[in-house]
Amino acid sequence: MARERRKWIILLSILPLTIYTIIVIIPLLSSFFYSFTNWNGFNPEYKFVGFSNYLKVFQDRYFELAIKNTLIWMVAAFVLPVVTGLAIALVLHERIRFANFYKSLFFLPICLSLAVIGQVWIWIYQPDWGLINTVLRSVGLEQLAIAWLANKNTALYSVIVAWSWQQVGLAMVIFLAGLTSIPEELTEAAQIDGASYWQSLRYVIIPLLSPATTVVIALSIINSLKSFDVVYMMTGGGPFHSSDTLAMFMFNESFKKYFMGYGSAIAVVLFLIAMVIIAFYFRQVRQLEQLYD
Amino acid sequence: MKIKFLRVLALLIVALMVLSACGGEETPTDAPVVEEPSEEAPVEEPEEPAMAEETNIVHYYSGDLGRKDMQAIIDGFNDSQTACIVTDNTTGHEDFKTQILVMLAGENPPDIFSYWAGARVQFVVDAGRLMEISDFWNENDLDNVILPGIQGAKDYSGGVYAVPQNYHFTGFFYNPKVMEAAGITEMPETWDELMVAAETLKENGVYAFALGSKERWPAQFWFDFLVGYTAGHEYRAKLQAGEASFADPEVQHAMELWKELVEKEYFHPDANAYVWTDAADQVANGDAAMHLMGTWTTGYWNDNGLVPGEDYDLLPFPVIDANIPVATYGPVDAWAIPSDAASADCAKELLKWFLTPDMQAKWALGQGALAATTGVDPSIYNVVMAKANDLINSGTMWIPAYDLSTPPPNAEVGLNMFAQFMDDPANYVQWLEEAQEASEAAFAALNQ
Repeated sequence: MARERRKWIILLSILPLTIYTIIVIIPLLSSFFYSFTNWNGFNPEYKFVGFSNYLKVFQDRYFELAIKNTLIWMVAAFVLPVVTGLAIALVLHERIRFANFYKSLFFLPICLSLAVIGQVWIWIYQPDWGLINTVLRSVGLEQLAIAWLANKNTALYSVIVAWSWQQVGLAMVIFLAGLTSIPEELTEAAQIDGASYWQSLRYVIIPLLSPATTVVIALSIINSLKSFDVVYMMTGGGPFHSSDTLAMFMFNESFKKYFMGYGSAIAVVLFLIAMVIIAFYFRQVRQLEQLYD
Repeated sequence: MKIKFLRVLALLIVALMVLSACGGEETPTDAPVVEEPSEEAPVEEPEEPAMAEETNIVHYYSGDLGRKDMQAIIDGFNDSQTACIVTDNTTGHEDFKTQILVMLAGENPPDIFSYWAGARVQFVVDAGRLMEISDFWNENDLDNVILPGIQGAKDYSGGVYAVPQNYHFTGFFYNPKVMEAAGITEMPETWDELMVAAETLKENGVYAFALGSKERWPAQFWFDFLVGYTAGHEYRAKLQAGEASFADPEVQHAMELWKELVEKEYFHPDANAYVWTDAADQVANGDAAMHLMGTWTTGYWNDNGLVPGEDYDLLPFPVIDANIPVATYGPVDAWAIPSDAASADCAKELLKWFLTPDMQAKWALGQGALAATTGVDPSIYNVVMAKANDLINSGTMWIPAYDLSTPPPNAEVGLNMFAQFMDDPANYVQWLEEAQEASEAAFAALNQ
């Protein structure tokens, strides 16, 4: 019986595995292959250049900047969606009036593509009539009304805020699910023992939310590594690489400057970084599972 | 158990065979029954209805006006014959630059596509991905159809690979009411006069120049004119070919002039926050007096209800060195056919249609472009377009703009530098040195 089951499993796996191989494995291997060439992505001819693309990666100051920007993004991804999502989830979990309406409101950005979100925030940041500058001018803070996306000191953070706007909804939903699964007896017991709200939050709720927190942090960080569409829409990595993330830098080198071999080497480095983070994530999840078992 | 498994597998294979057999030519149940012909009465074989050949066109005329006019022109072609049916695929102007190369490299090309004549076409020709259409050019006597001044846009590596659709004149498009309000009645013809006019406008609370360099390319016209009009067109051609350096004193001199304009606050601030239509709006609204742009800006303004000659006018870029011939730096929009186009014959028929005087006139009027063919009556142009047409016909040289006259990887280098300069003109020497380093890498990669 078990043998027959195994055969069926093998048989039914053929199609998905074939599709996965075609759309994931082969392109992945192709990227590895092209990272050792000087292919421009267009001309059919190319030469093998050994590890020179990898050497260039680690000597390129703009790659360094892209790494720095990606790290900033990861730290922001660690803080903004997690803290804000948790705060909103805690408020909405308190059975306030219109809680479901607010939940839908905060969840709404998740239903939008990042391209749409990028466009909406371009309008919000527009220097002349955008929401932010209009508000700043109306409260007498004219000097703070700048071209947010065209300023190299603010472009990256402006894009991160737009991206976080979507991520907060996702974090909120996961935290709400986590809060629902906490037995009320535990929080009630803490209250009976005289714990204040902050104490029960600090010593009961947050520790019990750690599986949800792990998921939120991991998703935010992985999403931050993938951050491309919203950057492409809002700044294209500019001005002057100031909002380049690794994914955006890879795209510009490959498709704008036509260094496909070099772009592939960047992609491989990005892949390796993502693999380390994902491995760490799975390790954490496994440890949590063991703890809760 | 093994037998059962094999049975299932066999059943699956048989099912797949049956399905693939069903997927073939299917006879509709309501198809007319053709009687077998008798020997006595030979019956003519029924003629199969001719199937129109599907032809795909990809172009970058993605604005409201361009898309609408191009669709109307293509619809007209589809209605005029039955052999070809053309499907219009519009792509956003900036995305097109990447997308078309991906389509060509992925061997999934359209049958015909719009492209900017010059170095961009050369880049595709060098990769062997364009069809040579010298025969088409000769058969249709295009030497006598296309304007002589832009016929250079057709030749690459000793053959014809592109056919011009239209071209543009670049100059200062200004708001006459703003100029008049500032007391400027004589338009500047020299650099010194331009500086005086800019100062006068500033004193009247108006920015002299609008620039929307968010997408970078609008800034290139400043670089083109300042280098070309100070160092000469030959030097500029060398720079485009990688035979001169961004760090040369000639380029630094041009950048000094540009820097002076920015530092004197003649430019509307935050150029990198705006696209070219924003800059056109700033001129139309009176926030700025003029912007250095191509004739397509007239199409945009016309579409927004501005009246040529009243609400906007054209001023050629002022002379800086009287020994250097006057020129304009603009694009020739052309059509090209991929080397492996599936429907090349229909693509050529469509090309012929594009070049008919009626279609050329319709396109030129809608786009704010100058027609590429001699058959278009110049009286169709409005007063501003007529001025551009007269300037070209009276000896102004037409030269491809920066990003159309250098290979795309090097074009990226310059475009980045222009935007960087607009952000921080004081450090332009550093930006030039960095651009030169990147330019050398780009040319080295191309020559590998």
